[in-house]
Amino acid sequence: MNYFPDEVIEHVFDFVTSHKDRHSISLVCKSWFKIERYSRQNVFIGNCYAINPERLLRRFPCFKSLTLKGKPHFADFNLVPHGWGGFVQPWIEALARSRVGLEELRLKRMVVTDESLELLSRSFVNFKSLVLVSCEGFSTDGLASIASNCRHLQDLDLQENEIDDHRGQWLSCFPETYTSLVTLNFACLEGETNLVALERLVARSPNLRSLKLNRAVPLDALARLMACAPQIVDLGVGSYEDEQDSESCLKLQAAIRKCTSLRSLSGFLEAAPHCLSAFHPVCHNLTSLNLSYAAEIHGSHLIKLIEHCKKLQRLWILDSIGDKGLEVVASTCKELQELRVFPTDLQGGGNTAVTEDGLVAISAGCPKLHSILYFCQQMTNAALITVAKNCPNFIRFRLCILEPHKPDHVTSQPLDEGFGAIVQACKNLKRLSVSGLLTDQVFLYIGMYATELEMLSIAFAGDTDKGMLYVLNGCKKMRKLEIRDSPFGDAALLADVNKYETMRSLWMSSCEVTLGGCKRLARKAPWLNVEIINENDNNRMEENGYEGRQKVDKLYLYRTVVGTRVDAPPFVWIL
Amino acid sequence: MENSNSYSPYSSSSVDSTKPSPSESSVNLSLSLTFPSTSSQRETSQDWPPIKPRLRDTLKSLRLRQRGYNTALFVKVYMEGVPIGRKLDLSTFSGYKSLLENLSHMFDTSVICGTRDRKHHVLTYQDKDGDWMMVGDIPWDMFLETVRRLKITRPERC
Repeated sequence: MNYFPDEVIEHVFDFVTSHKDRHSISLVCKSWFKIERYSRQNVFIGNCYAINPERLLRRFPCFKSLTLKGKPHFADFNLVPHGWGGFVQPWIEALARSRVGLEELRLKRMVVTDESLELLSRSFVNFKSLVLVSCEGFSTDGLASIASNCRHLQDLDLQENEIDDHRGQWLSCFPETYTSLVTLNFACLEGETNLVALERLVARSPNLRSLKLNRAVPLDALARLMACAPQIVDLGVGSYEDEQDSESCLKLQAAIRKCTSLRSLSGFLEAAPHCLSAFHPVCHNLTSLNLSYAAEIHGSHLIKLIEHCKKLQRLWILDSIGDKGLEVVASTCKELQELRVFPTDLQGGGNTAVTEDGLVAISAGCPKLHSILYFCQQMTNAALITVAKNCPNFIRFRLCILEPHKPDHVTSQPLDEGFGAIVQACKNLKRLSVSGLLTDQVFLYIGMYATELEMLSIAFAGDTDKGMLYVLNGCKKMRKLEIRDSPFGDAALLADVNKYETMRSLWMSSCEVTLGGCKRLARKAPWLNVEIINENDNNRMEENGYEGRQKVDKLYLYRTVVGTRVDAPPFVWIL
Repeated sequence: MENSNSYSPYSSSSVDSTKPSPSESSVNLSLSLTFPSTSSQRETSQDWPPIKPRLRDTLKSLRLRQRGYNTALFVKVYMEGVPIGRKLDLSTFSGYKSLLENLSHMFDTSVICGTRDRKHHVLTYQDKDGDWMMVGDIPWDMFLETVRRLKITRPERC
């Protein structure tokens, strides 16, 4: 029984924004369920195949913002073949047919076509925000539709997408009367930009806060753009073609000095090092710095830049900065919360740019650090134990030792104890990626201590099924488990079928799981979609007489309320 | 650098369903360990380390550019039967197609790779180990890392 009229309850619910909390309040009673349903503004769907648009609309008829994720995470690393799925078209069609006043669409790892973008741009009068992350399937023609038709667009944020650049005039498709742009990110476009159209767009966008340019915007154009938009908060620099042009550099420096609101800097795709110093005047205000594409810049120039960035909270950088550079970060950036160090040498040729010493230095110098992604050539248990002691507040800890199966380089022992120390000390750990030489022991530790763990990535680790079982039995909050090249098989997969109902998905590739095992799982759990991805041999699975024992190359299973999907390509076999 | 005696991720195919299981491969890999462990033994994998395609491409092109400045990508090219050879800067080509086009133009004959054709000249190369191989089997950037010289053979030889 409600003590207040529905409108009052609805007003209270307006303050509850997190998805988890909204879900919780909807479970309290029928009345609250109904009120919550009609007042839900933001819907988050972590797996687009777990539900369909029709059921979404039946439950939430009035939402304004939709987030959809498609392909599994390992698709980012070329493990999911092209054409697997994750098409946004049926979603947009269904929403267009309904009366939903969509204002925001955020897609991750989905296939988006120009047709979808065109339909999107024509169907929702108040559409304001389009964020596409790691998507593919569309071209600049689709962007032209968005620019032409979305009168109230505020955000066009394209992050790391594969976009077919027709080098067209999509930027000039924004009408002259259009002035509401807040975010424009086209850093992932490969082709040339219409600079004139861009400058005019920026000049008539007083609310522009975030601008991220692509390779093709040269230095002098950048200077002009910044002069037009001194209110900018987040800037992505493209590339500098002319090293020699010092006049452009000076102009840039003058323009940058006026950007007193600048807090976030990224890009520098092909930057000339001495122009990097043009940004020194604004460094003391920066909270976020992404230099992970600045492969051309030598470590020493990176260090000179970072020395000015005392307020940095987020730093993404390449390992060319070296351990010495990380020591500078540790002593300068006391507010650092998130660090990502990416590799520059993909073949592991022995160029030891960053080692365990850099990681230890960071952990000692940055008390607020809670998220780390660290690629390195070598690691020791001792270092990890020290890191765990220094930083018990990790929420995300991802360590990638480039050479698989690599042990502690000092003791030649597996890294079980090191990771064990991390999970034991970090009681709030939600995401973990492990690497190096690891036995079942590390998974015993993870199962025992990582009580809050929601996402675990395993590669080239473990000895027997016990390893995977420790994790499945121990980590009660596990949502996403992704495993590659590890000796886990049917026994682990089938031990507790009901566990998968509590998880979003499980990925296993190049493991010991067999077709027979997967079939048994699919029979036991009809509420799961069990997908076998088998690119090479479409028919091989059937022909082989020992079919039951045939190893499955890629397995992806996920809970769903809408059964088998109908858009699977021939190389995906849904059991 | 330590090289543990177990399964290597740096295999040429990431989608090969007939890949040996980790326990089986330790037997097979003992053969590869008899060769010196140079970086040429490591073939570039498309799915390890786990970085996004954009970064992978950026690093690849950076490595190639660096090689262009530091290491000579000039290789000698001989046409079988012709004593005087040519020199070619491989870093100027984007792939096998442009290389073949250029060679065909340079030697005024049709040069192909791969198929053993009685009619056409077939392109071969000498790799880091000194072996003569057919051009075109491995990815372009891997080819650039290993090629030492080129030879356009007369059709019958292959």
